[in-house]
Amino acid sequence: MSFSNSKFFEVKNFFVSYGTKEIISNLSFEMEQNEILGILGANGCGKTTLLKAMCGALPSLGSCLLFGQNLLDMSIQERAKVCSYIPQRSGISLDISCLDVVLMGFNPYLGLLESPSEKMKQAAYAALENVGFAHLCDANYQTLSEGQKQLVILARTLVYKRNIIFLDEPESALDFGERYKMLAKIRSWVSEDRRGAIVTLHDPQLALNNCDKILFTRGGKVEAVISPKTTPREEIEEHLKNIFGNLSLHLCKNKQGKDQFVLLREETL
Amino acid sequence: MKNKILCLIFFILTLALAILSLFIGKYHFSFDELANLNAMQWQIFYTLRIGRTVTALAGGFALGLCGFVFQIVFKNALASPSIIGVSSGASAGAAAGILFFSGAFAITLCSFVGAICAVTLVLWFSYFDKNSRKSSIVLAGIAVHALAQTILMSLKLLADPESHLASIEYWMMGSLGNVSIDRLWWSVAVMIVTSAILFALHRQLILLSSDEDEARSLGVSVQGVRLVVLFLATLCVSSVISMTGLISFIGLVAPHIARRVIKNNKLSTMVMASVIGAALLLGSDIFARSLAKSELPISIFTSILGVPFLIWLTLHQERLR
Repeated sequence: MSFSNSKFFEVKNFFVSYGTKEIISNLSFEMEQNEILGILGANGCGKTTLLKAMCGALPSLGSCLLFGQNLLDMSIQERAKVCSYIPQRSGISLDISCLDVVLMGFNPYLGLLESPSEKMKQAAYAALENVGFAHLCDANYQTLSEGQKQLVILARTLVYKRNIIFLDEPESALDFGERYKMLAKIRSWVSEDRRGAIVTLHDPQLALNNCDKILFTRGGKVEAVISPKTTPREEIEEHLKNIFGNLSLHLCKNKQGKDQFVLLREETL
Repeated sequence: MKNKILCLIFFILTLALAILSLFIGKYHFSFDELANLNAMQWQIFYTLRIGRTVTALAGGFALGLCGFVFQIVFKNALASPSIIGVSSGASAGAAAGILFFSGAFAITLCSFVGAICAVTLVLWFSYFDKNSRKSSIVLAGIAVHALAQTILMSLKLLADPESHLASIEYWMMGSLGNVSIDRLWWSVAVMIVTSAILFALHRQLILLSSDEDEARSLGVSVQGVRLVVLFLATLCVSSVISMTGLISFIGLVAPHIARRVIKNNKLSTMVMASVIGAALLLGSDIFARSLAKSELPISIFTSILGVPFLIWLTLHQERLR
């Protein structure tokens, strides 16, 4: 990893197509470390495609620079050491214990024939404890609910040194409490040095209250980049209306006095 | 801890079956006689009993292990070595060997070559899919299976109904009785080497069972590992069935029993699947040669074991993994 003065993460002139159909067209953005970047957009606008392409799962044109190094030029193993992708649904189809699932996260650091060390097993247990599932470490992963599975996968992602994590609509399987729990875990994780997270979200309210920056995408391009803390509320409302239809954005205080965005549906006149 | 005890029980069971297998057969050997065998008796014991027992042990071991591997790689609880054309390629090869050459060695060699060719074709066809999806391998397997069956059918048409055709059919029914003891050690060597490597790769194998994107994001070279694992498993299984003919159901059933015993998928499950495969084949063989005056084809007994189990599996579907 070259430690230059480059930005934490930069995407430049990114193109992704399925056959002849262009999904992502000349997309560029950048982000700083310790940030959570949210990507919002209507269904089908290519959020998942963008995320998958950025971590190298789909062919693309352009560059994704992590500290100046192009993720897409790295070997599979090198890339797995610095970035991690959490899909919407985990594809694990076997009966295995939750601890074994979390131990999968160490794979890029193990030789082909090596097995995880005792230290790694302890780190995996600690990661499960972190998401509140220490009691499930020997439970069969398949018997968990979708939300619980997502949190175990999150534990797997955070278990060992990664720099950037990509999460694809993580809240879709989680209940109300679990959503905030997951974003709180991501928040505490990115606060450490040389880390960042990119999340695609369905719920704009969740995005506004948890992300440092939000990318609005439409038609495969970035329509706007806003910061919930600094961009004027009216501007944010305008961008949301463009994508989601008529709504109004309000700033309310919860019982602890903390500002939170609330979205209200408005009827179309 | 409980796992280790269960594994031990199955190991002991397999060992007991192996020892039993040494004593069952037309020629009767008692314990005292074994201590003082003359040259002819030793020849019989070595060629018939030891040869057969080792074949059943090694063959069942290979079939159980490879069934486990194929079920994981294809994420299909009903996968068995035939899914990528191993069985049909071996059959076509054996038929060619029976028709055009003579001698057991030629048949064994041709069937081995046939199996390897079939799988190589399947993996090569699937290579054309740039996304290297596992469904491409299955589709290619179907295509190559059809091709091998066509070749087999043509060869059967050419075969002399009085002798060759019967030989082909008997080969396909599977038998441990025609295994030449000298050639056996080569097969066992191949089987030991390939299974050792497969066991060593157990962690990568389990990782392969996830979604391809997920496995890749965890640093697994999906295409490479899959190729290596499938090829090794094919070598392992072909080294057995090229000598014994087709043995059905063991590759399908042994991994499931192993997963019931060890409710997890790790190295111990892999080992268990192999050991249970060995036990099943030993048991089937003991029946095959002791139930009637002449030897019955072994696939009959593996099917007798397999069919009820499949029905039972169907009735308990939520654990079908």
